Amino acid sequence: MLSIFFLGSGESRGWRRWIGVAFWLAVLVALVLYGLIGTRLFYLSTLGTVFMYIVLTQAWNILGGYGGYLNFGMATFFGTGAYASAILFHYFGLSPFLTAPLAGVAAAIAGLLIGIPTLRLRGAYFALVTMIITFAVQILVLNLPWTQGALGIYMQPTGLTPLGVERLFYFLFLGLAALVTALVYAIERSNMGWALVAIREDEDAAEIVGVKTIEVKWIANAIACFIAGVVGGLYAQRIMYLEPFGTFSFDISLNTVLMAVIGGAGAWQGPLIGAPVVLLVADTLRVTFTSEVNRAIFSIVVIVIALFVPGGVMGLIHRWRRKKRVEVNAAPEKN
Amino acid sequence: MLTQIGSILADGIMIGLIYAIAGVGLSLVLGIMGVVNVAHSAFIMLGSFFAFELFRRFGLDPIISFFLAFPVFLGAGVVVYRLLITRVETAAQTQGLVAMFGLMVLLESLGTIAWTTDTRVITVGYTNTSMVVGGVVLANVKLIAGALALLLIGAFWAFLRFTLMGRAIRAMGQNRSAAMSVGVNVRQLSAVMFGLGIACAGSAGVALGMVFPFSPNTQILWLAWAFLVVILGGLGNVANTLAAGLVVGLIQTAAAAFMPFDYVYLVLYVLLAVILVVRREGLSGATRRAI
Repeated sequence: MLSIFFLGSGESRGWRRWIGVAFWLAVLVALVLYGLIGTRLFYLSTLGTVFMYIVLTQAWNILGGYGGYLNFGMATFFGTGAYASAILFHYFGLSPFLTAPLAGVAAAIAGLLIGIPTLRLRGAYFALVTMIITFAVQILVLNLPWTQGALGIYMQPTGLTPLGVERLFYFLFLGLAALVTALVYAIERSNMGWALVAIREDEDAAEIVGVKTIEVKWIANAIACFIAGVVGGLYAQRIMYLEPFGTFSFDISLNTVLMAVIGGAGAWQGPLIGAPVVLLVADTLRVTFTSEVNRAIFSIVVIVIALFVPGGVMGLIHRWRRKKRVEVNAAPEKN
Repeated sequence: MLTQIGSILADGIMIGLIYAIAGVGLSLVLGIMGVVNVAHSAFIMLGSFFAFELFRRFGLDPIISFFLAFPVFLGAGVVVYRLLITRVETAAQTQGLVAMFGLMVLLESLGTIAWTTDTRVITVGYTNTSMVVGGVVLANVKLIAGALALLLIGAFWAFLRFTLMGRAIRAMGQNRSAAMSVGVNVRQLSAVMFGLGIACAGSAGVALGMVFPFSPNTQILWLAWAFLVVILGGLGNVANTLAAGLVVGLIQTAAAAFMPFDYVYLVLYVLLAVILVVRREGLSGATRRAI
């Protein structure tokens, strides 16, 4: 079955593609410059959060966007990473900047634990289990002795000025966002990317032509969870205090899905568009509405996109381009 | 000791019946239509608040609300089917999942706007009363909720087994195109089926609200229970769902007797993982068709 909700990667060819890449590189350079000269705490911290969500949404995109297996519980893996680095700091005095990869490994292990039984199966098992597992993990964290339950864990301040801290995380998350976007760009053009798209479009056919569907899904999920765990580990240092309800918040899971769906799941540019749009609109709306009204509005947007605008913003752009190309090809002067 | 076992059994059966109706709607919609309704528990939550509001405003007994909820949620389900499901039925499964996820978030946030995140209970005259049968203490409210659940499941079973419409629905579940070619109006029946699934969720919500405290933002816990019942019982089979609900209820009360309350949830999640590993074929009906 041809899924039109997600985009194929056969987008524009040749120089057109490089224009797109050049545009995003220019944005990156501008953001680096702003990070160096900007002094407004609010902008730096908001943009830092945007970059953090770009990383998370890109991670979601690997299995969810290209592979079509939706993870409705990114908070589980994000929180696992955050708690892993917090515990390593609390008991062994290790800085989260050093242990971020270990946090990623912890989250990847959690991802495998959930992925191995559910991704062996077709259909919605994975989506349903990721959706309901966050509560189980929350209960676990509340009751285990070494996570300190509802008391939470405090981290050590970095000793920098508030502006310095925000600038540090601005660049950390910007760097990660660029790195992970490059990774997703590479995956999109690799065998793994094609395998994932094949799984999304027709898993039976993919298996028949020799795609190791189950292994590909496991690996994609482990990579995504690893990235989410690294982000969580750094977030622990940024937020300085972890407690189960805030760290395993449903908002994090919801935001990643929102951003990917609105920006365009299954395209590397999707999270780059979705994360700023959702966060900036949410920030603007928060002045006049409560967060519940905010959520209700976004959920309606998601339903409308799922029903009428397959592929989100990137889907619209692709369709517009394709239409233009058809018009150009149809013109007799072309020959 | 014997009375303790007796009360574990009785409690487990009564709670299990309620879990069974929480799961039966999900199971039928998934098994017969292949729709993964992740918004199922949001409708359960709305059912609880339906009874809560009727009781608070008009002093209406939840037993009456249980029967009132059925037609109201049936109508709501048909509307959701017409607005949402018809559009994503033939598309990729992921598209439908995202739409239903959006619906779940929408209902949850509307619930939070209307009733805040406070935990509510419905306290009627018989809430804290109980009777003693052979030394075993039975809470009246659990008995009533369990009996209502059993009634609903029985009615459902009879409807699917003996009526023409029920047979047509089962035929649709077995082979959609074959059912269509022998003259079953698949579109109309799908709307009815989805409506019945949501109606079950609404009535289950009333029964749950009689026994357990509830709040809009914990609704997803009920999705976990319903999903567990569905996986254990298989799809689209009312009798198996009933058995699965009873098993889950018994395991829960037995586990609660030996360990702190919070860990009971974890036992059930482990159970979920084990079943997923063992029952590989799983949602077979759902994989063949979209959403």
